[in-house]
Amino acid sequence: MSYLEYSVKTAPTGFSKVFYLNWALILLLSAVASVGFLMLYSVAGGSFSPWAEPQMKRFAMGLGAMFAVAMVPIWFWRNMAGLVFVAALALLVAVEFIGAVGMGAQRWIDIGFMRLQPSEVAKIALVMLLAAYYDWLPVQKVSRPLWIIVPVLIILLPTYLVLRQPDLGTALLLLIAGAGMMFFAGVHWAYFAAVAALGIGTITAVFQSRGTDWQLLKDYQFRRIDTFLDPASDPLGAGYHITQSKIALGSGGWTGRGFMQGTQSRLNFLPEKHTDFIFTTLAEEFGFIGAASLLFLYALIIVFCIATALRNRDRFSSLLVLGIALTFFLFFAVNMSMVMGLAPVVGVPLPLVSYGGSAMLVLMGAFGLVQSAHVHRPR
Amino acid sequence: MIRTPLRPLARILQAREKGENTDAIERENLRIRHEQMRDDARRRAEGRLLVLGGLFFLAFSVIGLRMGVLASTEPEEPRAAVAGASIVAQRADIVDRTGRILATNLETHSLYAQPPQMVDPIQAARELAAIFPDLEEERLIKDFTGPRKFLWIKKKISPEQKQAVHDIGEPGLLFGPREMRLYPNGKLAAHILGGASFGREGVHAAEVVGVAGVEKTFDQWLRDPANGGAPLELSLDLTVQAAAERVLWGGMKLMNAKGAASVLMDVHTGEIISMVSLPNFDPNERPRPPARGDAADSPLFNRAVQGLYELGSTFKIFAAAQAIELGLVNPDTMIDTKGPLRWGRFAIRDFHNYGPELSVSKVIVKSSNIGTARMAMDIGAERQRTFLKKLGLLDPTPVELVEATTSQPLLPPNWSELSAMTISYGHGLSSSPLHLASAYASLLNGGRSVAPTLLKQTGPRKGERIVSGEVSAQARQMLRRVVTEGTASFGEVPGYRVGGKTGTADKPMPRGGYYDDRVIATFASVFPADAPRYVLIVSLDEPVETSGAEPRRTAGWTAVPVAAEMITRVAPLLGLRPQIEPEPMTGVTLTAN
Repeated sequence: MSYLEYSVKTAPTGFSKVFYLNWALILLLSAVASVGFLMLYSVAGGSFSPWAEPQMKRFAMGLGAMFAVAMVPIWFWRNMAGLVFVAALALLVAVEFIGAVGMGAQRWIDIGFMRLQPSEVAKIALVMLLAAYYDWLPVQKVSRPLWIIVPVLIILLPTYLVLRQPDLGTALLLLIAGAGMMFFAGVHWAYFAAVAALGIGTITAVFQSRGTDWQLLKDYQFRRIDTFLDPASDPLGAGYHITQSKIALGSGGWTGRGFMQGTQSRLNFLPEKHTDFIFTTLAEEFGFIGAASLLFLYALIIVFCIATALRNRDRFSSLLVLGIALTFFLFFAVNMSMVMGLAPVVGVPLPLVSYGGSAMLVLMGAFGLVQSAHVHRPR
Repeated sequence: MIRTPLRPLARILQAREKGENTDAIERENLRIRHEQMRDDARRRAEGRLLVLGGLFFLAFSVIGLRMGVLASTEPEEPRAAVAGASIVAQRADIVDRTGRILATNLETHSLYAQPPQMVDPIQAARELAAIFPDLEEERLIKDFTGPRKFLWIKKKISPEQKQAVHDIGEPGLLFGPREMRLYPNGKLAAHILGGASFGREGVHAAEVVGVAGVEKTFDQWLRDPANGGAPLELSLDLTVQAAAERVLWGGMKLMNAKGAASVLMDVHTGEIISMVSLPNFDPNERPRPPARGDAADSPLFNRAVQGLYELGSTFKIFAAAQAIELGLVNPDTMIDTKGPLRWGRFAIRDFHNYGPELSVSKVIVKSSNIGTARMAMDIGAERQRTFLKKLGLLDPTPVELVEATTSQPLLPPNWSELSAMTISYGHGLSSSPLHLASAYASLLNGGRSVAPTLLKQTGPRKGERIVSGEVSAQARQMLRRVVTEGTASFGEVPGYRVGGKTGTADKPMPRGGYYDDRVIATFASVFPADAPRYVLIVSLDEPVETSGAEPRRTAGWTAVPVAAEMITRVAPLLGLRPQIEPEPMTGVTLTAN
């Protein structure tokens, strides 16, 4: 049911909206962000500069953005979905030409006060557009092949652009988030089964072909895949991060070495210790208990999102909140798996904890959408 | 799915009869259908959500579980060995007995060119020629502009040179890492270490292969990664070696000799503490073997091991010791020394006429050829041969040098009575200074054989008994008297009770016969004579001592003073303290070994 079909008169208006925000969720977000401040303070050797202080400022900015987004009625955002998506695509194209090169990939656009990562924006834009699409599409048409092609194109377009950067990690996240949205919207499961079967078949074929006459990839490509999948085979090269972070996690043990006592991260064994690999610092200093607590906080955020999505009778709101929850989940699940050696190393930050401007802002904006959906839900 | 029509005819007709608005019915039905559809969609969505929730839960569990596993495992440092091929198997270091580096590795670079990648070959050739004066510009230009795709320019370059080549900025000039063998002490112990060179060579690495000395003998061991980087511990002592080389070099110059060798050996363990051969070379820049001329004149020639010389009167002590051991004589038995002693066409003469008879001790002290030959006659050829074989004088030394295996002493074709007589005073049998050192050590350490070794030992390793401890002590006593009252009087070093025997042998001419103005002067000594610790052999090749009215060549004037100087310098380094000689050398010292 779309917002046109229910009375919006019951939605709160004006300043009173503040009272209808999902304050528990805000509290959870603040808690996670605070863990981030603590870790950045520790990584810098007990100093607010260079990381903790800017991060706090950004979180404050993010909170402001969240409130601003939340005050705007959700139906406005629904109408903006197409525009936001086009803007994100434009940024992705623009980054090809005017982007700054970082870590061997073109990812940023410098917009003065911060560096914008268009791929971050693309994630939320994709979720918004798909939610709007399935809100607009009559339910009975959802599984018709013709109406499948449209969302597939919507997903593949930004994925391709991100892959060109090249940022394999984000591209995969986009693909999975898009597929998740289609799954939520109720696309027949046979489509997913077919794609999964095709994917598994292709991968098996590629690996089976290794060493035979009809080898599908070159030897060096296979070797790259090997290192990608099993970084431990190259502990001083590609696997360096993983090995070091595993050591950090192991040395943390159950209760950790104590705040500011981590050696592995402090003694510069770990590159990217303040961004993608900040989880290792947490695990080393607060041990299993600290790491599991953060995981629990994340889980609570997901549970709250799902709860509010379930209660919302508006299809766009519901899909949007689920999509954002899925994106958020993918962020930290992939990051943690990567740090713990469960997944290959792809550049994915730990949401709200890793040092980084645009990821934080975009994510807080997305939670603004969640709040907006919560405030303006049909009652 | 059964679809209820939006405008069921029956109801429409009924409504028309009642005059109601039929559109209301349609709207009503449409609303119901929409609600049904919405409920369906919601149910499906909730099902989907449940599936996804399950997946989330699974992911959380896996991550949590992994955290637990990692938290409960001990962190394991990655080992370099796991990295495998990226680290070239390093050649082990070689150290002296106290752990000081004798040979190690140095990271350098090789320089090669890939002409197809060159931007400006002419300019590159010009700048290269400026950096390396030994390269010719024209030749480089020809190489760089020719059809070759790859060529080596330099095998080893210094960091400064590398930077200079780097600064040319030519992408076709490339560097390959090279592990180079470095001998930080330069010429020190050159003959023992030998040297190393590159074997199979690739762009990114080159094999280092030992070409001589212990580098070659222990090549496999040094390259074996299974040793875990443990160094090869030699028996050498770096400081003693340095002092010995310095003294021998000075002595060689002073005595106008063309070559010299010395061996210092521990009498109980057979460890070679220092071994010098002059002239020497720098193993970092190992010269090529000479293409022509006598190989024995090359600096590469290890005189101490490879040089086979008739070592002259130094052999006399063997005959005396064996005669005493066999019970034929005792040190005071008088021996007929009337000369010349005729045997067939041969006549054996002494340097001086020592009168009609001398005691066995005096035969050694005065170095009487006739007296020694008479003892050898009593011993007989067969017994003498067996005795010398036990002393290791008839076979190549078992020392750990590749050069030693080919140093087979030169023996008479048939060991006749006459051979026995000449061999007893050191003619007719050629052996190396190292042979002499180990034979002296075996005879004087108490009478049990030791094999010479270059590897550090943990304790005495003595083999079969050759003479009794008493005979060994008597032999030392005789040698001591050679220094105190005989031919080696310059060998006295106060406090160290040196005993020893001189030997001056005429050098053989290449076509037979002997030179009368070219000698090998040798001094074989043991110190301290009452409680033996070390044997020192000093051998000079063609020495001439010119301070007197006429040139003097005998060992007493040449080799002995050099050996004395060496002992003076080396004994404190070996930890020996000067002591007053126990007087007389009898009783306890006689039986102690």
